[in-house]
Order: sequence, then structure tokens, then C-alpha cells
Amino acid sequence: MGVFSRMTTILKAKMNKLAERLEDPRETLEYSYQRQLELMQKVRRNLAEVVTSKKRLELQVVQLKQTLSRLEEQAKQALKAGREDLAVAALNRKAEIQQQIEGIEAQARGLEEEQKKLEVAESRLRAKVEAFRAHKEVVKAQYSAAEAQVRIGEAATGLSEELADVGMAIERAQQKTENMKARAAAIDELVASGVLEDRVNFGAPSSPVEQELAKLKASEQVKADLARLKQEVGQA
Amino acid sequence: MIIRIATEGQYELTGQALAELDAADNAMLDAIQHADAQAFARHLANVLDIVRSRGRRLDDRELKESDLVLPPPDITLEEARDLFAGYPRDLAP
Repeated sequence: MGVFSRMTTILKAKMNKLAERLEDPRETLEYSYQRQLELMQKVRRNLAEVVTSKKRLELQVVQLKQTLSRLEEQAKQALKAGREDLAVAALNRKAEIQQQIEGIEAQARGLEEEQKKLEVAESRLRAKVEAFRAHKEVVKAQYSAAEAQVRIGEAATGLSEELADVGMAIERAQQKTENMKARAAAIDELVASGVLEDRVNFGAPSSPVEQELAKLKASEQVKADLARLKQEVGQA
Repeated sequence: MIIRIATEGQYELTGQALAELDAADNAMLDAIQHADAQAFARHLANVLDIVRSRGRRLDDRELKESDLVLPPPDITLEEARDLFAGYPRDLAP
């Protein structure tokens, strides 16, 4: 099991480095416990950050949906004024923004998943810390016996591995959140500067085929919207 | 044997399931060597499925060291190559 055993080795080496720092088993236990508490705080901070980012994306969707209503109204007014060209332009922008909304909503769902994963990690870690805290007190009380030292080693190793694992879960969630935050900031800027009518890549399909399909979908949406609005303003 | 799926938790696996896991692992190693992302994703999913479905999930309160550590379920081929090829990059004193 080449890959697996190597990964185990990586984690073990990190654990040993941690254990080597302190020699007194009681200090090691306290140090490990402190590390656990710090990590739990980190998990909670990350959770809060993910939730904030998700809410920010949801707010952007609300803002963009308001833009949709405005564009719909503009298209209707243009039709009433006999300017179908302007109506089509407004509906094109509307279709484009609709696609951006879909992209942002997909990202918000991604953050929702990250949030759930972090909640699981946090709950797992909380249970381990509680188990460790109880174990630590017993071992400290029995420290004079040589046997206790062996048990300290076992507990610390199991915990250090959990530390490394939960740490990895947080790191991965953090990376994903950072990416989404960067995209959210880009959309904020576009909303603020009013350049949303320009083609932006945010949430846009990546491959040429997907882009063509998206254009097709947008064009069909524009036609349908135009027909509907014409009916509404009595021009059908 | 105690097996950890990184970022997910620990399972205990015994008997025939271990032999199946070993075979699945070899297939995954081949995919990494051939830089075949699709095959890698397929074999990784299979490996994780064996552990989750055939193993017993360890209670979160148990403090045990793992005999094996599997990569996180969402790891990419590039990350896997980097993780294993980079060993022991981050372990220098």
C-alpha cells in the first residue's frame, strides 16, 4: 500500500515532532490539550467566516435580482415607446445577469457544503477533546506509575493524528472559502461600478461548447421575455 | 486495522475487505502514475466506498492511532501527486 503507508508516515512524523518538544508527560498532556482548544477556536472562526461569505453571496443574489426587475421594467417601457431594439438590449442584459445569479447561487451552495463539513469536524473534535481532557486528568493523577507513561503516549498519538486531520479539513475549507470570497469581491465591484452589462466570466460556463449553449439559452430567454412583454403592453 | 479517511474520521476494517482495499489501492496508484485523472477519481471513490461500507465507524471519543490514512475525498490528482511526491518536504527540522 505505497501511497497510503507514505501518507501515514507523513502524519506520524508530524506527530513525533510535536511529542519531542516536551519531555515531561504532564507538560505534553497540557500542551496537547491547549493545542486542541486552539484548534477548536480556529474551527469556530472558520465556520463563522464561511457563514459570512455565504450570506454575502446571498445578498449579491438579492441585489442582482433587483437589477433584473429594473431591466424588465426598462424593457417594457422601451416597447411601449416603440423601441424594440432597446427592449432587446435590456433583455439581453437581463439574461446575462440571470446566468450570473445561477453561478453565484451554485457557489453559495458550495459554501453551504463547506459549512456542513466544518460543523462535522467541529463536533468530532469537541468529542475528542472531551475524551482527552478526562483521560489527561486520570493519567496525571497516576503519573508516578511507569504504566501511565505508555498510556500518555497512546492518547497523545491518537489526538495528534486527529489534530492533523481536522487541521487539514479546516485548511481545505479555508482555501475554498478564499476562492469564493475573491469571486464575491469581484462581483461586488461590478455591481458597484455598474459594468455588469459587460461580459464577465464570473459564474460563466468555461468550455466553448458550454459558452455556446449558454448563449443559446440566453437568446431563447430573450425571445420568450420579448414575446411576453409585447403581450403585456398590448403589442402581440 | 484502523483506517482514517482524512478530514472525515476513522473506520475499522478486517478480513476480506482489507484484501479488496489493497487491490483498489494498487489500481489507484496506477492511475496516479499514468496521470489519469478520471481513473484516479473512480478508484479513489471505490477505495473510500470499501472503507465506508465494509468498515465499522469508530466513535469520535475513541483515541486511536490509524494504521492507514487515506487522502481526503475531494483530493485532485494534482494534489495527490504533489502530496506524495513532495514527501518529506514539510518535515525538515
